[in-house]
Amino acid sequence: MNRILIFIGKAIVGVLRLLGRNAGNLPGIILWHLTRGRCCKMFKVDCPIIAVTGTNGKTSVTNCVAQLFKQSGKTIIINKEGNNLDTGICSLLLRYCDGAGRVKADYLILETDESHVPVVYSQLKLETLIVLNFFRDQLDRNGEMETLIQKINGFCKTFEGNLILNGDDPNTARLGRANPNNKNVRYFRAEPYAFATKEIFEASEGRFCPFCGEALEYDFYQYSHIGRFHCPKCSFGDYQPYVTASKIDLEKPVFTVEGHEYSPKLNSIYNVYNMTAVAAAAKLYGIKQEVTDKVISKYTVNNGRMENFLLGDRKTTLNLAKNPVGANMTLRVMNEMNGEKELLFVLNDNVADGLDVSWIWDINFSIFERVTRVVTSGTRAYDIAVRIKCSGYDQEKIVVRPDLDKAVEELAKTPGRKFVIANYTAVQPTRSALKRYIAKHGGEQIEK
Amino acid sequence: MKSEMRVLHMYGDMLDLYGDSGNMEVLRYRCGKRGIMCQVDGYSLGGELPDLSKYDLIYIGGGADLEQQHISADLLRCKEAIKKAYEGGTFLFLICGGYQLMGKYYRDADGNEIPGLGLFDYYTVAPASRRKRCISNIVVRTKFADVVGFENHGGQTQGVKTPLGEVLFGNGNCSKSQYEGYFEENVIATYMHGPCLSKNPELADYMIGYCLGRDGSPEPLAQLDDTLEKKCRQVMLDRLLKK
Repeated sequence: MNRILIFIGKAIVGVLRLLGRNAGNLPGIILWHLTRGRCCKMFKVDCPIIAVTGTNGKTSVTNCVAQLFKQSGKTIIINKEGNNLDTGICSLLLRYCDGAGRVKADYLILETDESHVPVVYSQLKLETLIVLNFFRDQLDRNGEMETLIQKINGFCKTFEGNLILNGDDPNTARLGRANPNNKNVRYFRAEPYAFATKEIFEASEGRFCPFCGEALEYDFYQYSHIGRFHCPKCSFGDYQPYVTASKIDLEKPVFTVEGHEYSPKLNSIYNVYNMTAVAAAAKLYGIKQEVTDKVISKYTVNNGRMENFLLGDRKTTLNLAKNPVGANMTLRVMNEMNGEKELLFVLNDNVADGLDVSWIWDINFSIFERVTRVVTSGTRAYDIAVRIKCSGYDQEKIVVRPDLDKAVEELAKTPGRKFVIANYTAVQPTRSALKRYIAKHGGEQIEK
Repeated sequence: MKSEMRVLHMYGDMLDLYGDSGNMEVLRYRCGKRGIMCQVDGYSLGGELPDLSKYDLIYIGGGADLEQQHISADLLRCKEAIKKAYEGGTFLFLICGGYQLMGKYYRDADGNEIPGLGLFDYYTVAPASRRKRCISNIVVRTKFADVVGFENHGGQTQGVKTPLGEVLFGNGNCSKSQYEGYFEENVIATYMHGPCLSKNPELADYMIGYCLGRDGSPEPLAQLDDTLEKKCRQVMLDRLLKK
């Protein structure tokens, strides 16, 4: 039976290739139906599997962990962003397996959607699970936050492999208690950075102890609900960290883990957490220091995450924000910068974004400093305009241009520094619109 | 007409789904533009319960099942105070969980029954399957306007005699039901998130007008420039009601 399924799957991949199409998700979706939802079960994977999950940072951490092994001379298989559901992973394995479904590599590194962790790893044996954070993100797709955590918690109850958890996020740290018999639970965390606060700054999840219901106490918040927390009643939050990022200075940017100083390319507290997770994985697998160093210091992204462009001579930074935490981070970066600036916010509500856009009300726009004009665009251009208006921003300074090309023209009309925030399905069209503007009016994309 | 309104936002730190707290921002904004003082106080677990009768409006948003369980005992403690305020004319603005908990009871997906305050006759039952949820954009024809919001609720609310309006798109009180929400002169209860008031200034202004007119001399409110809000809603109405 397996051989037949694999044959069918490979045939579909082959036909799609002949048609000049990228195989993507489709073979997995067909096999999902043929196997009644157990499309990953037919593969025989002999090598260790490392999975990365969480709301933000999955792609970054997956890529970096893959690089750790690749640069150590190992053969790895990794999934591309977006193919992180069971069907996407199935499609990936179809490409690499032999006729019997056997997958050969030294390591499989798989970015895995939060809600699919139990689905995929009840079918494939998982060696290590890295959990980065849980934020409000597309709640309407996943159901409520708590349901999602419960699903992964259920999986962790019987999981005895390595669990690398963000110890500064109560939503992920709680997974460490799911299976008291698991001796392989490890936590990473970070010391406060310059903009850490005593009070919570942005709307968030997880203010109450999941074990006893008591309000959690925080020594500091880094951003959103991420910070050093503990439960005054039941001691949730008291754990021995496996690795800790300290001496964080985002101006340079540098941070230290286990006495070693790293100089990453990206200067956000986000990235420090992501790279600390990478450092934890490197320690666990005994990766050589020079390899870890190279991976962490070289890592950068060019998929709409803090990308820089010149629109004519106007310096423009584009950032993806799938949720309030991402958007708040961009606003902070924008605010921490001197001088006047203008913002373009592109908001879509396509299926992949989650049909609901109310998350924009969890963005703290009242902190706007020296923002002289706002342009809004996307399928929900007016929603974001109303949101910014109600935060107290002068509505005379808001320009709504649902058409993206017109929005970019509008933004570039005036001199000065520009920021662009786009949500999930908006980010690629926004990049394209920026590039079209550059092709027409001059400018360039700046490599970091 | 009064020149200030006092609002109590209950459990804002726990019941805040889909931008529900944004409703307070909208109220404050619309009052501020008119020179009306809008004082929003907070109350949550562990705090001291203020005299509720002092408030013109009490607001409770929506939360996940877990949060609703956490606050239900405390809310019951406030039962008499809320009832007294409501009977004294305080406006109740209730979204989703807040709406459900003012009814007789809420039975969650695991069959746990959370007692409501029983202020109103309706009751809510969540289906056993957590997957069965009413998740949709929603359009409701109310006496104020055709309003737009976003709903995401498992609970099916039954026994509503005076709904807020008729469903033109989406689900409403139950899956694919005809009516949405609950309405009285001093009560707007609804499943509409979004936040609800952001695209529906008529609802906000009705509440503000009601609160200011409590001294017995109501007057029309000054008109605001709602071009952005109305265009925002029109985009959704055009999209959702297009046949």
